[in-house]
Amino acid sequence: MPGIDECLSGAMAIAGARSASLVDWSSGLALGSLGISPTGEHETAAAEATDLVRAAVESQTFTGAEDKRAPLQDIIVTAGRSYHLLCFIDTVFDSRLVLHLWLDRSEGNLAAARYRLQALAEELVLG
Amino acid sequence: MNATSSPLGAAPARHPAAREPQGAPAVQEAPATPADAVERLAGERATGALRGPAGTVYLAAGQVVHAESDRAPDLAALLTGCGRITPEAWQEILRVHGPRCRVGDALVEQGRLTRGELELCHLGALYDAAFFVLDATAGPWRFEPGVRHWLGPVTAVGAHRLRREVERRRQLLERIWPWPQLDTEPVRPSEAGIPESREACAGPGARGRHRRSPSRRQRELLDHADGRRTPGELARLLGHSAFATTADVRRLAAAGLLATPGCGTPGRGGPRHAAPSGGTTPDRSPADRSSSDRSPADRAAPGRTAGGLHRRVPGATLTGPAQAGPVRAAHPPTTAAAHPLTAPDPDIALLTRVLTLLEARL
Repeated sequence: MPGIDECLSGAMAIAGARSASLVDWSSGLALGSLGISPTGEHETAAAEATDLVRAAVESQTFTGAEDKRAPLQDIIVTAGRSYHLLCFIDTVFDSRLVLHLWLDRSEGNLAAARYRLQALAEELVLG
Repeated sequence: MNATSSPLGAAPARHPAAREPQGAPAVQEAPATPADAVERLAGERATGALRGPAGTVYLAAGQVVHAESDRAPDLAALLTGCGRITPEAWQEILRVHGPRCRVGDALVEQGRLTRGELELCHLGALYDAAFFVLDATAGPWRFEPGVRHWLGPVTAVGAHRLRREVERRRQLLERIWPWPQLDTEPVRPSEAGIPESREACAGPGARGRHRRSPSRRQRELLDHADGRRTPGELARLLGHSAFATTADVRRLAAAGLLATPGCGTPGRGGPRHAAPSGGTTPDRSPADRSSSDRSPADRAAPGRTAGGLHRRVPGATLTGPAQAGPVRAAHPPTTAAAHPLTAPDPDIALLTRVLTLLEARL
């Protein structure tokens, strides 16, 4: 049964993965991180990812027409050399968590990575 | 248990001047802050419970393994509140496995939680409670060596990491809206019901001119803000993180949707000249706020009578110069005067909340 460490290890096993973090976006805290951070510090990356997540979650444009409880599934940022996948984790108890994967564009496959990350996020909660 | 406890200084305040050297047998010099105490204990690879005025931090072999605070919902509140575990089942697990300190393992073994859920819930509750425990500056504090928590080992956090996180959270709250009184006082809806600026709902990251309506959790908070419950009590009631609730209370107060203590709110009798629904409301961007060096007390609104009731002064704004009031208290009112025990008029309070909610949905 996977815990946080196994989940992050699984994310790092995705082809092209540079870093994986479990971020609590209610506070901006990285509950766990593996790999090298884009900013050099996982804490900074978590705080900045939190700003992006909050902006999306709290906007009517992106969430207004969706299910109120879990409006967003993931956020994908496509940069010149890499992708950032932010996959929301849905827990029964109240939590605000995303799994953040930083992925190399030349080595990774976005569709496969997104699919795998979603599965990891579900396994973490469902076992 | 108390016989083995060793006091860690009566009041480990942040100010060195407030430090009181104690004749404690186990500690040569009282730590300056609770976080210092945790780091020192971690350095000694201590196992036990550090109890302070706002709660307890548990260490095992120098790692912080749990924290509890009456200001934050604990594991039981989070798991029974959402219906994942019934209170009866929780009591039974606690009764059987609590004495052996393996409630966490039992929850997983019985299939009530997955390992991942337990870790997520535990870490969230640990950081949540630790913030309030370690943020408390006044004593008394004591360390009880050897005490273990009934949950048993789940995850652990280094003392230094915890300290940095507590500090980061404190700064985050300050950046949102620097009114610490909001964290401990009953949450009151803004009597005006008219947001001065909703920008702050978006937090420090968003400084655009556009307005943002409150999030789902913020609306829940507004629904339950009755002038009686503190942010900690609301967090427990709603099963939300206490830190996130505290941050949302500050954001909503910054947006004018909740009342800020010491910051005058208009009374029910006065006309709302200064409360248009258009774009002429005062802009309270974070930059404006930080450039203002007035203390919260200095911002006490005009028109406050000696009885602590607020009377709206025509043309006055909450942030505007305070010279407009015909009746102005020479000193900021006391907390008791500023917050009558009951709402001035329940019907008005209710209508105000309805109005606030309707506006929030615009």
